[in-house]
Amino acid sequence: MEGFQHLAAGFAAALTLQNLAFALAGCVLGTLIGVLPGLGPAAGTAILIPLTFKLDATGAIIMLAAIYYGAMYGGTITSVLINVPGEAASVVTCIDGYQMARQGRAGTALGISAIGSFVGGVVATLALAIVAPPLARFALSFGAPEFFALMLLGLCLVTGLAGRSLIAALLMTIVGLLIALIGIDPVRGAPRFTLGLPELYDGLGFVPVVMGLFGVAEILVTLESPARQVLETKLARVMPSRAEMARASGAIGRGSAVGFFLGLIPGVGAIIPTFMAYVLEKRLSKTPEQFGQGAIEGVAAPETANNAYANASMIPLLVLGVPSSPTIAVLMGAFIINGLTPGPFLFKEQPELVWAVIASFFIGNVILLILNLPLVGLWARVLRVRYQYLCVGTLLFCIVGAYSLKGSVFDVGVMLAFGVIGYGLRKLGMPLAPAVLALILGPFMEKSLRTSLEMSGGDFSIFVTRPISATLIALSVIVIVGASLRIAAVRTMRDAELK
Amino acid sequence: MRRGWLIATIALAIVCALFAAESLQLALFDALGPGPGFFPFALGGTGVVLAGVLAWQVVTGRAEFESDHLEFDRTGLARIALVVLVLALAAAFLEWLGFATTMCATLAALLVLLGIRRPLVVAAFAIIGSFGVHHVFTTWLRVPLPAGTLFGA
Repeated sequence: MEGFQHLAAGFAAALTLQNLAFALAGCVLGTLIGVLPGLGPAAGTAILIPLTFKLDATGAIIMLAAIYYGAMYGGTITSVLINVPGEAASVVTCIDGYQMARQGRAGTALGISAIGSFVGGVVATLALAIVAPPLARFALSFGAPEFFALMLLGLCLVTGLAGRSLIAALLMTIVGLLIALIGIDPVRGAPRFTLGLPELYDGLGFVPVVMGLFGVAEILVTLESPARQVLETKLARVMPSRAEMARASGAIGRGSAVGFFLGLIPGVGAIIPTFMAYVLEKRLSKTPEQFGQGAIEGVAAPETANNAYANASMIPLLVLGVPSSPTIAVLMGAFIINGLTPGPFLFKEQPELVWAVIASFFIGNVILLILNLPLVGLWARVLRVRYQYLCVGTLLFCIVGAYSLKGSVFDVGVMLAFGVIGYGLRKLGMPLAPAVLALILGPFMEKSLRTSLEMSGGDFSIFVTRPISATLIALSVIVIVGASLRIAAVRTMRDAELK
Repeated sequence: MRRGWLIATIALAIVCALFAAESLQLALFDALGPGPGFFPFALGGTGVVLAGVLAWQVVTGRAEFESDHLEFDRTGLARIALVVLVLALAAAFLEWLGFATTMCATLAALLVLLGIRRPLVVAAFAIIGSFGVHHVFTTWLRVPLPAGTLFGA
């Protein structure tokens, strides 16, 4: 097994004291971000990018990846204790997790979440090690038309699953792509859409924009209606009993599979795997009536699926260079800041780095398990910190993060402007994820498109005459047509119900 | 909600139209193939068409909203406006006054604005959050933050 040989080398690189410290710091900071209501993993990862500026590329990516899956676990704590998901993926956990907390079983709920997250993460990372090398080798045969078609498919998947209005999602994708084109033209080297401002020659910074859209905007929403209630509950017993473990083991196994397979598809988002895992368990359960009343499987399944998804969603990024969610897009931004372009060539040119990062996923999952079981009580206490301090502290880090990227106050202004725009779009329910993914993929898409057309002498049929790109384009069309049919069907059913 | 979506759609249409118009100033095609204006023009044009369709859906009641009501809390909105104003002032003064001084004042102002009234707590948070963070980033993490031109740095 070629993957496991590489993985062994990756462990050797990742198990240095320095990289272990980065993974530990990332897990702690990530969990803290997940615990803070209103600050999701995308914003949290973006805000903390400046902490990694002086690290080597491997250390920086290890730490940011640890922040990502730490945040995915941290969101569970608020779901269980205050019935408020720390991030979107933990919405389903609220259903039974909060009920368990009300019955005095908050510790068990958090314990089974930590165990499920660990198993889901490890299973997904093992599968990653098996799947990634052959997939990366296959992707090496891709030319510009295939990469363009692949990115188009990624955007179509994100757009097609983004919300109730497909047109709004498509429009947001286009606006994201347009904003990505600001700056120096990557092919000819001429400035475009810069309004004569030298600060825009490098384009609008991806990190300040994401910090604004996700970080500042989320804080502004929190400031509008800040009240929250922390459930006073005992966390005496964190380890589930044998009987509880037996009940949850099937859910953990199935949650791992659901999370992994859905993590391979860009645009699915973390909510769908968690919801599907929950529904699957309820369907298979002999006591479905207990779901919603504090069933331990109702916590184990979505939490496992959530972490399996988080680890599996690294596959499209590492192997194909296509981010599958806004947080993964931020991680892609971190790769680019460190002079690395994720994709098959990274596997070929920097195998040590890629496998060290993959090995760090295992290490991170172990750290999270060790860290979270005994520290559950501490995280619960963080929730009692008054929201004013959390919001002001987060805004402080947003300013530091935006400024320190290029040492530019202009980026702080960009972050603020996108914070206000993000607040408005959030209130309206406009989908932000497609815009963020388009923002990071825009320059790559344009370059692939123009290179393809230069290869063909301006003939667009190049995209449909090559089998792989033709297949990917066909899939893109199917995704968009399928999404519009789904939305139309939902509307028809609702109209029929109203009549 | 409908009016909000209409305003947002029109704003997005204007953005797309501006990009499309600006693209026409660039070459759509040149000797090597598609020029720097080609992709943005295609996107901008498509964006305008999509915005038109969305506006039509909103006006005719066919648009699907995530929620039917757009609710704003007036006190909350005023709080948000003040926070944004304070942050904008912080950005404006950051390079002149330096990170530590600007953020000390900013953090204190934000805390008071959000209802923290204990002077000692406000002062402690502001000083640690500004000078402390400045020290951590510039000394430990070696990330440069503005020292302030006012102080000759």
